[in-house]
Amino acid sequence: MRDDLLDPRAVLLHESAADRDAAVRRCGRALVEIGAVAESYVEAMLERERTISTYVGEGVAIPHGTAAAKEDVERDAICVVRFPGGVDWDGEQVTLCVGIAAKGNGHIPLLAELAEILLDPDRARTLREATEVSQILKELT
Amino acid sequence: MARRTVAVASASGLHARPAKLFVQAAMGVPAAVTIRAGDKAVPAKSMLGVLSLGAVHGTEVTLEADGPGAEESLDTLAALLARDLDAEDSSHA
Repeated sequence: MRDDLLDPRAVLLHESAADRDAAVRRCGRALVEIGAVAESYVEAMLERERTISTYVGEGVAIPHGTAAAKEDVERDAICVVRFPGGVDWDGEQVTLCVGIAAKGNGHIPLLAELAEILLDPDRARTLREATEVSQILKELT
Repeated sequence: MARRTVAVASASGLHARPAKLFVQAAMGVPAAVTIRAGDKAVPAKSMLGVLSLGAVHGTEVTLEADGPGAEESLDTLAALLARDLDAEDSSHA
């Protein structure tokens, strides 16, 4: 797996968000801050989420932009943003967001690995309850 | 056991939106369908299972099902995989 996709600066473990849109914006901001996407990508992430929920299960959502927003992506990257207080996600409770910026398919092996982790209840819990950036990096890269 | 093998047509592969649409469709068909890529097989109704396949554009996947409604279920899901769901997304954006 590519280990250049997850910048430690884009791992935020003690965030809070009032609602789903605020959580998506926080993820978008994290991707903007590391220079992975242009500001306009954040709106595209919100648009995508309104079209179809990116909730994948195990308290995890994977917000990302619409296909049309690929031109707003400077480089492939992900961010990991944890909301210990939980966020209501169309009736599901989300505690971890893995935000995705992708031009091509470089992030798919990472998503597959993430899904693999989440299919294992113990590893899923480790990820949801992580309080150290190193725990996230160890699981995902 | 009924089977269909189809190449994933969506530009971004079988993840994100295309995966979600596929899983939603799998929940709506009568048969319990399994999707296989290489030697890995998962329930088509499992979002995490489908994501864990890591299927990209052009990956050949095999759908399998048994029992009542198996053929129609596979036809429905195979047809969905054969469409570029990302392109349909762009046209609406």
